[in-house]
Amino acid sequence: MSLPERKRRLDYIPVWDNPEEAVYHRVTVDLDVCDGCKLCTVVCPANVLELFGPKGELRARVREDFTGCMSCNNCYAVCAGQAISASAPYDFAGAYAQKRAGGFAFPRRF
Amino acid sequence: MSDVLEPQDDDIEECEADRAHRRRAAVVEVPPGAPWNAVEEAILSRRSIRKFKARQVPPHLVRRILEVARFSPSQGNCQPWSFVVIRDKAMIAEMEAYCTAVCKMMTAKMDYTNYRRGTFKRFVTQAKTRFLARFNRSALHPVPMSAMKLIAEGRFAVFHKAPTVILLLMDKNGVGTPEVDIGVVGTNIVTAAQSLGLGTCWVGFSKILGSNKALCEKLGATAPFEIVEAISLGYPIGNPTQHHIARQTHEIQWWEDGQKQVLY
Repeated sequence: MSLPERKRRLDYIPVWDNPEEAVYHRVTVDLDVCDGCKLCTVVCPANVLELFGPKGELRARVREDFTGCMSCNNCYAVCAGQAISASAPYDFAGAYAQKRAGGFAFPRRF
Repeated sequence: MSDVLEPQDDDIEECEADRAHRRRAAVVEVPPGAPWNAVEEAILSRRSIRKFKARQVPPHLVRRILEVARFSPSQGNCQPWSFVVIRDKAMIAEMEAYCTAVCKMMTAKMDYTNYRRGTFKRFVTQAKTRFLARFNRSALHPVPMSAMKLIAEGRFAVFHKAPTVILLLMDKNGVGTPEVDIGVVGTNIVTAAQSLGLGTCWVGFSKILGSNKALCEKLGATAPFEIVEAISLGYPIGNPTQHHIARQTHEIQWWEDGQKQVLY
């Protein structure tokens, strides 16, 4: 690895609100299953989720002005219908890039 | 004291009868794919709980958790920890207020996302923060910074409005790396609490308290002890432990028979 290359990869501090350098928000909600029980919005540590829609037909969704989803999957854990989950980890450029990771998996028995 | 420690006659007899059995019971055979045992289940179903019921944790459960934590491994068995249990609402509010104030100040100084792109203020703050982040990368990681912003905006409580907060104090003069021992003791606290149906969350922002000398003295965090971490404790809202979740897998380098494999 050449020196400039190494600098770019390991030293670079990404800009937090630049979507090219900082990827948050890989939460998906299955709107057919979601019953608007509000638990995920209560539990989310990054305050990323909110409810929308008319009364009686509330559904969860990701806020527009979010940063900070850390793919903790607390929303999945608390959801009785398993309608919501973070499907991929957050990732940043440069120094904060996820290294040596192999994707999401449920607990596997060996 | 000596009366208590002296072995009784029937104790000795029991020991001798047990001895052969104990030797045989050393190896536990676990077949491949065996179901999770209770400890594994507690680890797998633990979530970080950030919303708690108002119900206070019974004192005997807190004692029970700390009693388990006391038996954590530490380097040189130096046990470089001391616990501060805070169940007093006024005290938690005081700690909360101080941490929030500091977070507000830090956000105003460091968080460049507060300013519109293209402005001079934004340019200066961004350059300063990204320069500082070179020297203190983990503290200025985007995730704690965005949490700090939430705290500053009042959308998030530092101690999660938990009924009980346990401060983990570290003896700076511990053997080797006492920070690691604090991590170990905290993990045992968290896992034990999970097995008792309680919710916990690590509060890294509690380190901020260290900069308030008066508060530190009040909390007994005086030299050689310093506040390293806090754990908020309470009954969780909802049922966050009902199913396991997916998590990132990481590279495992597996050396065996002169060959290296990479597993995930």
